[in-house]
Amino acid sequence: MSLLARYAEHLFWLARYLERTASLARIIETHVAFDRVRDDDVSWAWLVALHRDEEEFAKHYADPSLKNVIKFYIADIENPGSVRFAIRAARENARALRAVIPTEMWIQLNEFYNRFLVFSDRDLDPIRIARTCDQIKSGCYAQLGIADSTLYRDEGWRFFRLGLMIERADQTSRLLDVKFAQIATGAGGHGRAVDETFWSLVLRSAVAYQAFHRFEPRGADPNRVARFLLINSSHPRSASSCIIEAQRMLGELRSGFGLRGVSRAQEEAEELLELLQTAAADTDLVRRLHTVNDSLQRRLMNLTSSVGIAFFGYTPVQQQSQSQSQS
Amino acid sequence: MVNDTLQGPAEGQSDPYYCELNGDRGKRIAQLERVRERLKNLDISTLVSRAREAENELFNLGITFTVYSDKDAIDRILPFDVIPRVLTAGEWQIIESGVVQRVKALNLFLWDIYHDGKILADGVVPKALVLGNSNYRPEMRGLDPPCGTYIHINGTDIVRDREGRFRVLEDNGRAPSGVSYVVENRHLMQRAFPDLLAGLKVRPVSNYGEQLMARLREVAPGGISDPSIVLLSPGVYNSAYFEHIFLAREMGVPLVEGRDLVVENDRVYMRTLAGLARVDVIYRRINDDFLDPEAFNPTSMLGVAGLMRAAHAGRVTLANAVGTGVADDKAVYAYVPEIIRYYLSEEPIIDNVETHICGTKEGLDYTLANLERLVVKPVGESGGYGIVVGPKASRNEIEACRKQILANPENFISQPMIDLSVCPTLAGDKVQPRHVDLRPYAVTGKETWVLPGGLTRVALKEGSIIVNSSQGGGTKDTWVLEEDGV
Repeated sequence: MSLLARYAEHLFWLARYLERTASLARIIETHVAFDRVRDDDVSWAWLVALHRDEEEFAKHYADPSLKNVIKFYIADIENPGSVRFAIRAARENARALRAVIPTEMWIQLNEFYNRFLVFSDRDLDPIRIARTCDQIKSGCYAQLGIADSTLYRDEGWRFFRLGLMIERADQTSRLLDVKFAQIATGAGGHGRAVDETFWSLVLRSAVAYQAFHRFEPRGADPNRVARFLLINSSHPRSASSCIIEAQRMLGELRSGFGLRGVSRAQEEAEELLELLQTAAADTDLVRRLHTVNDSLQRRLMNLTSSVGIAFFGYTPVQQQSQSQSQS
Repeated sequence: MVNDTLQGPAEGQSDPYYCELNGDRGKRIAQLERVRERLKNLDISTLVSRAREAENELFNLGITFTVYSDKDAIDRILPFDVIPRVLTAGEWQIIESGVVQRVKALNLFLWDIYHDGKILADGVVPKALVLGNSNYRPEMRGLDPPCGTYIHINGTDIVRDREGRFRVLEDNGRAPSGVSYVVENRHLMQRAFPDLLAGLKVRPVSNYGEQLMARLREVAPGGISDPSIVLLSPGVYNSAYFEHIFLAREMGVPLVEGRDLVVENDRVYMRTLAGLARVDVIYRRINDDFLDPEAFNPTSMLGVAGLMRAAHAGRVTLANAVGTGVADDKAVYAYVPEIIRYYLSEEPIIDNVETHICGTKEGLDYTLANLERLVVKPVGESGGYGIVVGPKASRNEIEACRKQILANPENFISQPMIDLSVCPTLAGDKVQPRHVDLRPYAVTGKETWVLPGGLTRVALKEGSIIVNSSQGGGTKDTWVLEEDGV
């Protein structure tokens, strides 16, 4: 018998929330730990821009200081983009899946959530935040690792991977976009475009630092970094890698499980790859990067939407929102 | 561990209550003596620290129920006491056969009252008590559940009096909960106290899911050899959600909610990735009222419209059947010994507790004249709510109770206070006697199987006899010895 559709939906969102949490924690950790020009008046507005939260953030906080940004993105349960919200949402999805996922997955996530609940202000202090973010990241990686080595390889696994890949591609694209915008506006200090530290931070934020330097002995520059993160198919977090994997999952759902409902999503994945191939051939990619990223993110949303309409009972007009997991 | 409770009463003294560990079994039980010996040798600080670890583990395993406040959802564990309750092979034989007998009689009773009503016509059970009961569902008339089974899953609450005799206190034939704790408590004990269990022949409990699955397969609609079975839950916000997960996991069936099911042409289907898939048997953990908005409460968001239609058409089996609540009603309970005699021509293997029905004149008069000595229970409530324990109540509480009874006598029964047996229990850093009861679980398809042991609930408050978790109760692992000898 085919898998209960709701289980597939929960698996899809479980993976997305985990990936989103890990990504956010890693970006904060990286910047706190490695940004040498960091001082008290360094603005974290770029992080707020990463998830297009400017309006919401301004409603509750006076300025984008590290302290406020940490509060908003780690501890604020009212913020659907916060780590706390995402971990809770991941756990809620896992809770609805407890009868199907291995106990090992649930136990780790539950312990992780319980540990996070007792985090105090001390753990959120800028002095300790890097360590806290590291714990959050490790918690997510552990969960993904347990899933990888224990989750039964049925349709549910493919939906889990699909959610993971869509979220990862989206996060990589957003990171690139916001970092290039930072250079364009001159925010974050003058001359940062040529500052190696700046590119190290971007690469580290996408767990691409070591691989990039092996692959590009000439070192970092905007063009090379953009290409690496968008289209290097050996980097598991590049947009291309993620789309190719998502496409593979859709293909398996169709051929291995007879789910014809994937056809629209397959077309969208195909278009996404074409977009990236065009970008790869573009000799002036850096200048057009924002347009590419914009298109990439929009198409990823459409992909989620098509999967939701075909399998989770979403209606075409229904917006995908974080609250899907709360259903 | 030098401790009076584990040692038993001092020379020449006798305990006021039967002790589950040290009580006189009339003969030497070698296996039980080994348990006593091992418990005595445990250091109290070891006991305390291992108990704490065990509770931590329950929390992290998510063996919890959730309490919702305005802002937060708080996970609580059901308190677990690490000192096991032991039943000898001989004792278990009585309980098992007593439960099987009772379930059989109740299923025959249900078939009868939803068909010809012979027992009512014969005046054995008052007609009004059954037909006027809020849990009697006329919608069930004429429906023939496979194997004649209405109560597929049953929990019988059994207590032990001062002399060590077992008595049935209550039947639970709707959706008895707690079986997940039986299995999880054992797993926990095996991890926390492997030394206590080592080499003992204790009957296993971990095959409950397989047994349940096998019985539910037996009651699939006729002609279906490989039925599709699901567990229907009200969802993650239900306080027993962990148990639903546990049961679905152990049976290997989908845990569905109302929104996952749909009825078309009197058949039940589940929404899968590949479209609608037929469902043949539903172990439902949603109450009758909320099960089918078409047949019952029309505002229910939890249920599935059309389930009763599908059940009547013989296309789906609901476990438990709708309308079993009339058989575990606290007033009908008083007639169960007669019900057993009527259908089985046997004497009850386990007696009831003497019960006075306030809806009858004799019962009402007796109850009002003896309130200080009796336990008064509202008929419709469960979970230990609304119980007044006469010997422990204040003057005012007694008078308030009298008024309530007079206002609505049909709603109450009374029973003498049973001196519930005790079991050594960890209380802070001491081991002290605490009152316990026992709920064995029986699953019925063609035949009835009883899980060896059951849930031992313990009243953690000193002196309390109310073991319900909502009233400060905890649980213990229950060990049924394979054999009583060497």
